Amino acid sequence: MSIMAYNGGCVVAMKGKECVAIATDLRFGLQAQTIDTNFEKVFPVNKHMYLGLAGLQTDIITVYKRLMFRKNLYEIRENRVMQPERFAAMLSSFLYEHRFGPYFIEPVIAGLDPKTFKPFICNMDLIGCANMPDDFVVAGTCEEQLFGMCETLWRENMEPDDLFETISQAMLNAFDRDAISGWGAKVYIIEKDKVTIRKLKTRMD
Amino acid sequence: MALNDILKHMPSVGDMLSDYKSTEEMDFINLSQNKVLSAPPYSNPVENLAKLHENNDNIKINFDHGTTTLGFIYQGGVVLAVDSRATGGQYIGSQSVRKVVEINDLLLGTLAGGAADCTYWYRVLTSECRLYELRNKKKISLAAATKIMNNIIYSYKNSGLSMGMILAGGDMNQVSLYYLDSDGTRTMGKVFSVGSGSIFAYGVLDSGYKWELTDEQAYELGRRSIYHATHRDAYSGGTVRVYHVKKDGWNLISEEDCLDLHRRYEAEKKK
Amino acid sequence: MNSVLAPEIEQHGFNFSNCRRNEKLIHDGFKPPKATKTGTTIVGIIYKHGVILGADTRATSGNIVSDKNCEKIHFLAKNMYCCGAGTAADTEMTTKMIASQLELHRLNTNRVVPVPCASTLLKQYLFRYQGHVSAALVLGGVDNQGPHIYCIYPHGSTDKLPYATMGSGSLAAMSVFESRWKPDMEEEEGKKLVRDAIAAGIFNDLGSGSNVDLCIIRKDSTQYLRNYELANEKGVRNLDYTYKRGTTGVLSVKKIAFDVVEESTSGIEKMDTN
Repeated sequence: MSIMAYNGGCVVAMKGKECVAIATDLRFGLQAQTIDTNFEKVFPVNKHMYLGLAGLQTDIITVYKRLMFRKNLYEIRENRVMQPERFAAMLSSFLYEHRFGPYFIEPVIAGLDPKTFKPFICNMDLIGCANMPDDFVVAGTCEEQLFGMCETLWRENMEPDDLFETISQAMLNAFDRDAISGWGAKVYIIEKDKVTIRKLKTRMD
Repeated sequence: MALNDILKHMPSVGDMLSDYKSTEEMDFINLSQNKVLSAPPYSNPVENLAKLHENNDNIKINFDHGTTTLGFIYQGGVVLAVDSRATGGQYIGSQSVRKVVEINDLLLGTLAGGAADCTYWYRVLTSECRLYELRNKKKISLAAATKIMNNIIYSYKNSGLSMGMILAGGDMNQVSLYYLDSDGTRTMGKVFSVGSGSIFAYGVLDSGYKWELTDEQAYELGRRSIYHATHRDAYSGGTVRVYHVKKDGWNLISEEDCLDLHRRYEAEKKK
Repeated sequence: MNSVLAPEIEQHGFNFSNCRRNEKLIHDGFKPPKATKTGTTIVGIIYKHGVILGADTRATSGNIVSDKNCEKIHFLAKNMYCCGAGTAADTEMTTKMIASQLELHRLNTNRVVPVPCASTLLKQYLFRYQGHVSAALVLGGVDNQGPHIYCIYPHGSTDKLPYATMGSGSLAAMSVFESRWKPDMEEEEGKKLVRDAIAAGIFNDLGSGSNVDLCIIRKDSTQYLRNYELANEKGVRNLDYTYKRGTTGVLSVKKIAFDVVEESTSGIEKMDTN
């Protein structure tokens, strides 16, 4: 078994019209056994930016804490809010630093630029190779199913409400075919003037 | 790739066919004799099959696995309850598998382990039971049926079968419950649970089980046990099926989606 | 400045703190995950006025296409670009690092950096890591000595060639060059040849795919033709698969509202590097 599938879980992010969405499932398990159904894999970075981490839970927490340390220090030194591009670059070099002893995580970043509010999404492999497409990014144990769902459901310029429906259904239907993801889901829709966080009704088996 | 890996482990063609007259005879042997599976094409299959699995990550024999099944006897008969998920690795292959096999009007069996192994041998058992009826002009008892099954399974011990079965049905004018598995176990008992989710099911089952349960209580206990197992075990889920077996036959009591059960039990908790 | 409360950020370079743990996990039977690779067809040729580099745009992890339009032609200097194959993060990070070293070198020496200089920096770096930094590169550039194409292998060996291919699609691409390359080709002819070589990789090698990127470096100008040809456009959906609003069951909603104080549309101001 892959170490990336030890705890299970998945994250997906999508671009919309002047908004971005990021979603996570809520399972934390040890192989087949479900330990917790309220473990969020998406963390706030600043007002308009969220970071999703799929993979080994111990590394999810470690990487998040180390990253926040670096990001806070940056914001204090520079006295300005970090842009998503900068954050991605920072995360990328942090992961590549551990090229020969990597953290077992796959990150997903979703956010709006703090000044221009331009949507930004990005994912990386576990050693920091960034991928910044125009449509969607996925990570986690049901990555293949998510790719399939997103490729069919995603459209250009979705309004926040349509984006929510698309990302939710993509995620729900993907993890219903994966034994070790699911058990609840949380979706963040990030807009210029607000962030809407919805908890979804999902299968619990 | 995979084919090459398999071929690497194979002895020469001469060795392969030495025990058989022709390849056809070898390949289709179970069409005429359903209890005889064609053995792997090399000498001493039991020993050499194990070698094939050793240190070899390239050959994936990832058949359907992971299940929760249970059965228990109480004053009103036997309750069998099962989930309906089939997984191949972490991938959910199906959410609508029928894991209770209806052998005849009186006998039921549950399947856990290799789905293909279980369904094949249940099919053989079904035909054996029918043949018994035709030969002897009476229904087969559960004791006899399980013994037939056990004898077949035992003859394939250590050759890679993976099965865990609970059989229930009429037996000498009463209802009884047997557990069989691919190690060759055959045992009669009151409460059994089999599969990856069985530890979770036992938790609920053991705390709620008593002989004096009413029918409704017994159904609910079986249902609840499976539901809680599907909640905790990643490889169990789908719908929960509950069967009731009495000495004069069996009934399908309920088929309920785990999502509906979850809502119901959550609402109960909040009350 | 270094204290317990505000420790300095760690030194640059690789960090090996997880190695022991990861080794143990692998020893215990957990399979290590795969990093993103670029299956890749990358090529470079010398033509009459300089060099032309080409690359496909597929990145894979295992049998999944993880990026359908990635950039494999990396910037090194104004007169030098470098195509990368192998582990995507390695090619990306290695070329970025060498690019900054070359820029420092340019500022120190105040002249056009020779292409062999970049080749040497790259091969020395790769040799130091004994192939563990798995970057296979096609380096192309024009300096005062004229045009150069180098192949640089992950273990640090190099070839200096008039036309070169690398990556999993190198055989397909090389067959095009072997039959059609000739010295002193015109630019249009060269572009066509490189495009055909990459297309051969895209259509015949499973590790390569999507689009064609080109980069033309002449004596005094550089032209980066990103997505020169879209070889594989996605089909248009005939039906609408949109989920109606309200399809998804929602248990709870939480809203965080902001006051937008300032909105600007300009990007970041470019640093003056002249």
